[in-house]
Amino acid sequence: MDVDALGRRLRKQFPGRDGELDLLLSLLGEPEDPSPPGIFVYGPSATGKSTIVRELFAQYDPAGQQYALVNCVECFTSRLLFERVLNAWAGHVPNRENKYANVAKSDTSVDFVAHARTMLKGRRGTHYIVLDQAERLRDRGPMLLTVLLRLSELTGAQVSVVMISNVVWDKFRPRHGGAVDPIQVYFSYYTKQHVLEILASDCPDDEPREFFLTFVDAVYEVFHRNCVDLSELRHLVALLYPKFVQPVFEGQATRNEFARLFKLCQPYFVAATDKLYLREISTSEWQRNSVKASAKTNPDDITNSIYGMAEVGDGLDLPYYTKFLLISAYLASYNPSRLDVQFFSRGKGNASKRRRHKTSADDSLGSSNRQQLLGPKSFGIERMLAIFYSIIAEPVDSSVDVQTQMASLITLRLLTKVSAGDRLDSINCKCNVSLETIRAVARSVRFEIDRFLHDFS
Amino acid sequence: MPSSQRPGSCMIDASSIQHARRLVLDRLHGRTQLPELIGLETPLDLVHSLLDRTISSQEGNTALLIGPRGSGKSAIVERVLNMLAEKHTDRADSRRYHIVRLNGFVHTNDRIALRDIATQLLIEQDLGDVLVGSFADAFTYILNLLRSSGADGEMPPVIFILEEFDLLAQHPKQSLLYTLFDIAQSQQTPIAVLGVSARIDVIDLLEKRVKSRFSHRQIYVQNTANLEDFEGIARTALRINCADEKLSAAFSNEFNHQVDNVLADEQVSAYISDVFDFGKDVRQLLRTFVLAVSHLSIRSPFIVVSDVLAAIARERSSAKMLVLSNISLLELCLIIAMRSLVKGGNTKYNFEMIYNEYKSFMSRHITAATSGGSMKIYKKSVALKAFETLVGLEIVRPATITISSASNSRNDLLAGSVQGTRAPKEYRMVQLMLEPGQVSDLVGERAGVPVVIRRWSQQ
Repeated sequence: MDVDALGRRLRKQFPGRDGELDLLLSLLGEPEDPSPPGIFVYGPSATGKSTIVRELFAQYDPAGQQYALVNCVECFTSRLLFERVLNAWAGHVPNRENKYANVAKSDTSVDFVAHARTMLKGRRGTHYIVLDQAERLRDRGPMLLTVLLRLSELTGAQVSVVMISNVVWDKFRPRHGGAVDPIQVYFSYYTKQHVLEILASDCPDDEPREFFLTFVDAVYEVFHRNCVDLSELRHLVALLYPKFVQPVFEGQATRNEFARLFKLCQPYFVAATDKLYLREISTSEWQRNSVKASAKTNPDDITNSIYGMAEVGDGLDLPYYTKFLLISAYLASYNPSRLDVQFFSRGKGNASKRRRHKTSADDSLGSSNRQQLLGPKSFGIERMLAIFYSIIAEPVDSSVDVQTQMASLITLRLLTKVSAGDRLDSINCKCNVSLETIRAVARSVRFEIDRFLHDFS
Repeated sequence: MPSSQRPGSCMIDASSIQHARRLVLDRLHGRTQLPELIGLETPLDLVHSLLDRTISSQEGNTALLIGPRGSGKSAIVERVLNMLAEKHTDRADSRRYHIVRLNGFVHTNDRIALRDIATQLLIEQDLGDVLVGSFADAFTYILNLLRSSGADGEMPPVIFILEEFDLLAQHPKQSLLYTLFDIAQSQQTPIAVLGVSARIDVIDLLEKRVKSRFSHRQIYVQNTANLEDFEGIARTALRINCADEKLSAAFSNEFNHQVDNVLADEQVSAYISDVFDFGKDVRQLLRTFVLAVSHLSIRSPFIVVSDVLAAIARERSSAKMLVLSNISLLELCLIIAMRSLVKGGNTKYNFEMIYNEYKSFMSRHITAATSGGSMKIYKKSVALKAFETLVGLEIVRPATITISSASNSRNDLLAGSVQGTRAPKEYRMVQLMLEPGQVSDLVGERAGVPVVIRRWSQQ
């Protein structure tokens, strides 16, 4: 086999990965060459680790019986992993004819080692196990990694384990120290030039390449400050580019008027980047709805329509009293109980005196330990009910079953129960709702929640 | 270096380079033995004579081979087994003795071990009904089967190599070890049991009844004592034998000469002495040369210093810093925010605190930053996504991990609340897995960081 030619081919296929490919290929060498017992491929996400290793092996061993590709998320027990590896080495594909049976049953690592030993006896060349997302292996018991890295020793055959992960090896090293450190191959970040080169292949067929690249360049400059992930960038470019060229087809601008095109596209950039990046708008939703909004219309309309898409619909469509229950739960979770009297007592007499008490408290605004930052703390149900009866304006109709509503809030996970499940009295809860949500809820019942929150900003 | 440029140099052909490359790589990867074991002669002789006595004079022997990881225990075992195989080939039937190898990593309980012992002793009978009884009964049964299969009804010697002996000793009741030691002690059956372990206190793990049947013969393997020997290991691994008939003598000489050159290089020997001082880890030392050796080809038939130096630079660089070298500016800001929280006396912090720190810094300085240009305060949800990237890289880790549940809860910051009682992920306490100095380095080594942020990281 011609390793040099393979290297040339792969270098062409994957721009900007020359060093990594050279290193991997020289470690693998010719199929008959000795290979290291472990190769650890690591690097940040979206740097081509899995794609390149997969492609490399597919071309390195077209017959596919020397290597086994295993995704550790799929194979969530060691048994699945072992059987998948044995199947691949044997060239066995479970299908209807063989009733989806595996080549061999291997529950434990002993079985696996024994099967591998008999299977590989007399076979030539190195056999590889490629483990994608190898960080999951650490959760499969302390011995698995060690066994895998020592497979050659245990089976007496040439076995190499290639692990792919974006976590560094330091976090893998087993505590008992029996594993030999693998040879590490680092996949570096793509430089801007390579990003452009890769994205150029995404250019639609009927669009001029230069024009497309200028657009990509602009998106990259805006976007790389908060995310350097290549796949995220591709996602954005793919969705925003049609909007960007739309004015050209609608006759508002020509391809040479870059500044003008950007100005027309600006509302999308501003409003959509975050929403698209955070996947608050799904791809299909965006493609369906953004057609309606065209650059011809008022920019404000576009912004509105984009925000309209992201609107999840008021997710908290709760009954009136339940909303108040939720608000009181929020207050109970975030306010210190010693201030309850000050906030909720009906008697106005000593208010000024109590106010002063508040300012002397050490957890005044700005401290990094205030409750808003620490998150909800648990409270007794009784306290929440006291607040509930205090903030609700009119006396509650006795037919409202407060207990039932509380139970449904817990089912909806808006409240979480922190006391033991079998306790029936003095239940403790936490409020699981964010400030934005509770503000929206409060607004819908015309309750000024900000007046009652202590030490919030 | 093409051969033509070298006056008096040998003929170089592709096959001899390939042969040399394979030969050396096999050693560096630990797939074959080094031609000689440096500084391990005494334990080697002890182990050899012990096992040899079992085979030739039917003695029952037990011993423990103890030494730190990477000190050459397995190498000794392999070497001794090879020597025994050579010595006893001339016997009447090709193999008069059996070898059973168990490993604590694989044989996690006694039943598994017993089944594998049977397989390794080539007993094909179905043992389903035998394995039900006690361990000792089943084991004696296996040995009787072996005896009856022997030529003259005489028991062939069996050598048991128990690697990771300390793990085998942690099996409940230690019935495997008890049975083995008991049989070795009684005179009828010639078996040798050699335990290999990296734990110095391994003998204390044995139960009293097991300990009393053990011969207390302990053979210690030390790490390489001096730097010369340590370098000598690398030299032995890299040099090729001049008597190798597949290679011309001229080529071997030249190859070895280049190896000597590389090892004499100032930086390389400094590195070797570093490895020696830090951990005496032979495998780490050999790993460094893998890259240089795998680059051997017809174009560069000998080891080059620059390749070795490149590999040394890679060994020395910190993987964590490499992964972080080019994270986005927002992620970098979050890391700096965490550091300033640490400086403010917080040992644990959650995303809300980090974001608050980030926001308050940015809002104080963003107007002053005329040079920063397009810096803006990102929304909380965008920052949360950046934060999750850091969690994914395990640079930020949940702060409340108890050791017992460490393996399960490693990633549950991402996995969402396992039990309903957990806080939302913004509020889960985390810790930054970087030293304050590393954070400054990270900012310092990076180009294009706005001045404000650079100053923030130096505060």
